[in-house]
Parts: sequence; C-alpha cells; structure tokens
Amino acid sequence: MLSAEQRQRYARHEALAEIGPHGQERLLRSSVLIVGVGALGSPVALYLAAAGVGTIGLADHDRVRLSNLQRQVIHSMDGLDMAKVEVAGRTVRRLNPDVTVEAIEATVDERNALQLLGRFDVIVDGTDTFRARYLLNDAAYLLRKPLVHGSIFRIEGQVTVFIPGRGCYRCLYPEPPPPGAIEDSEDVGVLAALPGIVGTIQAAETIKLITEAGDPLVNRVLLHDSMAMTFREVRYRRNRNCPLCGERPTIHELIDYGAFVGATP
Amino acid sequence: MTDTRHHRQRLLEEIGAVGQQRLRDASVAIVGVGGLGCPAALYLAAAGVGRIALYDDQRVELSNLNRQLLYGEADVGRTKVEAAAGRLRAIDSSLRLEVHVDTVRAVNVADVFHGVDLVVDGTDAFEAKFLLNDAAVLLRKPLVHGAVLQWGGQALTVLPGGPCLRCLFREPPEPDAVQSCEEAGIIGAATGVVGSVQAEEAVKVLLGIGEPLSGRIFQHDGLQGETRVTSFARDPQCAVCSSNASITDLSHYAQHVSARGHILP
Repeated sequence: MLSAEQRQRYARHEALAEIGPHGQERLLRSSVLIVGVGALGSPVALYLAAAGVGTIGLADHDRVRLSNLQRQVIHSMDGLDMAKVEVAGRTVRRLNPDVTVEAIEATVDERNALQLLGRFDVIVDGTDTFRARYLLNDAAYLLRKPLVHGSIFRIEGQVTVFIPGRGCYRCLYPEPPPPGAIEDSEDVGVLAALPGIVGTIQAAETIKLITEAGDPLVNRVLLHDSMAMTFREVRYRRNRNCPLCGERPTIHELIDYGAFVGATP
Repeated sequence: MTDTRHHRQRLLEEIGAVGQQRLRDASVAIVGVGGLGCPAALYLAAAGVGRIALYDDQRVELSNLNRQLLYGEADVGRTKVEAAAGRLRAIDSSLRLEVHVDTVRAVNVADVFHGVDLVVDGTDAFEAKFLLNDAAVLLRKPLVHGAVLQWGGQALTVLPGGPCLRCLFREPPEPDAVQSCEEAGIIGAATGVVGSVQAEEAVKVLLGIGEPLSGRIFQHDGLQGETRVTSFARDPQCAVCSSNASITDLSHYAQHVSARGHILP
C-alpha cells in the first residue's frame, strides 16, 4: 500500500492507466542495476529515482572529474574527485528517500558480473567500452535478465532492449570493431544533451519492463543523429547461429572480454 | 578550470573552441521550469550556455518530484526558479543565472525575448505556447517549442522566417478540451526525452550547426517506443507567419493567467 505522501509524490503515475497504484507498487518493489554512472547513467539514475524504483544499484569505478560535468548531470562541483557512485547516490537520495541506493565502487568484470547482476531485476548499460557491452550482454543473458542497452558516439546515439531469447547484442553486432578502429572515448567529442535523449529513453524502457506497459524496444534499435536531427528504427531478429543465444550456443559462461575485443591490457 | 570542463565538446568539429566560446557568450530564456524546463536547463547549463534566464511563478510541490529532477524533497515549498538556480550553480558556478518568479503574459513576453538569443518553451498550457510562438514570429527570435503528456510529447523549432507552430496547429484547443497533466498523468522520462531534444536544438541553433527542427516536428510515443521526425510546410494562410497574417501584434492575448497557466480574458 502506498502511504499518503507516496500517493502525492506519484500522483502523476497513478493517473496513468498503464501504471496506476498497482504499477507504482511494482516500481517501488523493483531493483535496477545501472552499470556506468556517466553520461548515460546520469539521466537513467535521475529518472528512475524520480519514478520511485525501490532499489537502484550504481556500479562505476571512476571518480568525478571536471570534464564530466559537461554532460554527466547527476554530478556537481562539490563531488569532484569523489567516487561517482557516491556522488550519484547522494543526488538520488536527495531526490527521493523512497529509493535504496546500492553504491558499488568497482569495475564490473568477468569475476564479479554474474554475482552483481544476479541481484537485480533489470540491468541498464551505461558503459562506454565494447568490452563492457559484450560482458553485460553475456552476463545478462546467462542470468536470463532483461538488459536495456544504450550507447553514444560523437553526435549519434542508439537504444534497444534485449530480452533473453529474443535477440542480444551479439545478434545485432556479432563481432566487435577491429582494435583501434574506434578511438578511446576520452578522445572523442560528445554533445551535452545527446546522452540525455538516449539515457531518458533507456529510463522509460526500464519503467515499461517493470510495469509491463506498452511495447518495449525489443527487436528494434532506435538510432538518433543529433546533427541531422533524425530518428530511425532498424529491426533485427535473434540470430539462430548466435554463439550466445542461438540454437547451438558455444558460450555457456563468461569469457575473457579484453581478449575478445582485442583491448590492449 | 573551464578549459577542461567542456573538453569533450571542444573535440567535436561542429563545436570546437570557437563554438564553445559562442555558447559562453550566448543567452537563453527557459519559460517554465517543470518537466521540460528541468532537463533543458540542466543540459544547457552543462553545455556551457553563459547566461540562462529562468521564468516560473510556481513553488515546488511533492507531486512535481516524479519528473522535475532539478528539485529534491528539501526544495518543496521553495520557488522553482530559486531551487533550479541553486542546482545549476552547483554544476557550474560561473554561469550567469537570472531568476524571474513570473510566468509569461502578453505584457511581458517581449521582454522575455529581447533579453536573450533564444527561448525554450517549458510551459504547460497551450495558450502560453501560442503566445510564445506568436511573439517569436513577430519579434524574429528563435523559439524551441516542446509539449508533453502521459508517455510522449513533441518538439519543433521556430526560426525567424521559417514555419511556425500555427502552420501545424492553427489555434490553441479550448482549455476544457484538453486534459491537464494532473488528470492525464505523466512519466518523468517522457519529459526528459523532449526536454533533452529541446536543449540539443537550442545548442544547434545558437551555434548555427546541424539541421534544426525548422519545418519539421519531433514526435515521441514512449509507450509504443515510437519516435519520428516529420516535415511540414509553411501554411500559406498561417495567421501569424504568412504574408496573409491576421495576427500582427499580441493585443488579442489577455493580460492575466490562471493558476493552471491559461491566459484569461
């Protein structure tokens, strides 16, 4: 049951047929892990906190730097040099005390991914490396958890949702780009508001998954070009030959993702 | 310090050091610091727009917090513009922020436009949106329009000499014909998508880069996960922006505004 204060706080959700008081209770009982509390993770965490997602896990190993503040809007000056998860957790608690924050100051890697992801209902990818994207994809599939994917590159962004058995990141991108083909994200420009668009769509998709509302972005990837100001939807299917989620899978446990993407150690 | 703050935007060939300085010298008015104005203000501040004027006559209520993410629980009861300015200053204390505990009316709309390079519409009443549109056309200043309800919304940009909101929607609907956000409900992330698109548009127009949404409308249905941009032509009979315009000043707008933002006779 929602308290009187909660009914006021979530009045705009209660008015929505697709959510209502029942959907709000589901949101409050749900848990979401946001991996990467940067450009994408910031709006995701802000909007999921505002929506009343009961438990928000924030995983990031990094500290807040001045150059982050141009787009990572959950952080602020007084959090400089502090752990991103700590600063973001503070902002989330200030927004909504209904939310329990699990601040995980760590890199999600082959050793801890299954144990970490396993504790949450929905996983949101806010990372910026191919190594992390394939790792999260495989871990979420092996745990049969939905994964809300988002990524940005310069002036472009994309969003899609992977539901186990209905296609995964490997079905969309079977191979990582060749090493060196994509510059390290630190050396690539990005427009401030672009991750806001991608991240808020990721937040909306997460809310839809939890409340089973509407039509999720499954089997379709939304592509946005901020300079041309276009949105395109590209459909994709589960690849029967996918080594992870296909008919004769060869990946049954996490692999060495650094070696897979050809990252320099 | 500011050298590294906007590092990632300077790396974009579309912006560079010259563009970043132009943003620093630019000014934007955000009319309405609610569901749309909050993300628009956050991203414009983060992007480094040097002067931001905030207009809103309301105080923060608990029912705002499901979507208006500049505000925390401690801000309930404060004026929105003061609370918003505090949060933006925490991101970048060098920004020049002007706060106006006021809404837009026929008598002050020219002042709102004259002081700035561009106006972002974050209002929640159709009369106010048409007033801003008409003023933008008559004063020949860019306006980034946005509107949201329930799971979706729209955005378009009115440029001097270009098509306007009235080319698509001739008249505001009767106040009784549309549901308020209170009755219909709203998802925070939907406002975040549209507000972030508005910020992205504002940056592009201020810098003269990319293709803005002039003569095109962005429409987002978060529930179905459908996003599209559709072209529209200028209405040769448009009441305000055509050569047959019947609206040549703002005298048909009344001077008073209701608590819900409707302009009263």
